[in-house]
Amino acid sequence: MSRKEALTHFMSQIHGRPVVVKLNSGVDYRGVLACLDGYMNIALEQTEEYVNGQLKNKYGDAFIRGNNVLYISTQKRRGG
Amino acid sequence: MTTSLSANPSTLLPLELVDKCIGSRIHIVMKNDKEIVGTLLGFDDFVNMLLEDVTEYEATPEGRRITKLDQIFLNGNNITMLVPGGDIPE
Amino acid sequence: MAEETEQVITGTVKEPLDLLRLSLDEQIYVKMRHDRELRGRLHAYDQHLNMVLSEAEETVTTIEIDEETYEEVYKTTKRSIPMLFVRGDGVILISPPTRIPGI
Repeated sequence: MSRKEALTHFMSQIHGRPVVVKLNSGVDYRGVLACLDGYMNIALEQTEEYVNGQLKNKYGDAFIRGNNVLYISTQKRRGG
Repeated sequence: MTTSLSANPSTLLPLELVDKCIGSRIHIVMKNDKEIVGTLLGFDDFVNMLLEDVTEYEATPEGRRITKLDQIFLNGNNITMLVPGGDIPE
Repeated sequence: MAEETEQVITGTVKEPLDLLRLSLDEQIYVKMRHDRELRGRLHAYDQHLNMVLSEAEETVTTIEIDEETYEEVYKTTKRSIPMLFVRGDGVILISPPTRIPGI
């Protein structure tokens, strides 16, 4: 049952793509996803921190501890 | 993957219900009063979920905030309830 | 078929914790829960993100309500700690120093 393949596929093709990572606190991080592990720990490049939609900080690289993550969001790839 | 029914008295395992939702709209209630509606593409044993065409509903002091997202990988850690069907909450 | 059953990782094995491995002995920034921030030199870390920092500076941000105007006032207090253990469960984000690629 549980269609894990969809998730594994998503995780295998997400590297190098621009993402929005939302934390449970409501803070958003926008950046390029460098890598991800099974705990949802995330390494982001060119990271921008948004609090209430306002840019608060920029980090070259950032490690985000997975327990704080609500979701990782991507844009659909249109026309390859 | 086979499911051992002898170990579990209920005929439908909870996650089988979730499995039936794959490909259709699903309404997710989070622990912190956030709600998410989207099309379920897949999930794993932790009920981490991959969702498409997502709408996120957040309660803020200024009122309900709605965010549209293409595709999200949702952490299963903070899910409280899953409701098959994608009715807009309230 | 082979690609389906076995996940082949291209190039060097890269996982998020590698970012920390590359930051050992470097100055890092740590964002903690409850509006706490740390800057210090990373000496050790483990898989829980427990860390040992030296020459650390802790910044705590608190919101206070002005008694007369009822305005929210952000107050930051700083202190230096020569050597410190950080419990991983409080960590939100870690940022290593900006590195020039290729060095």
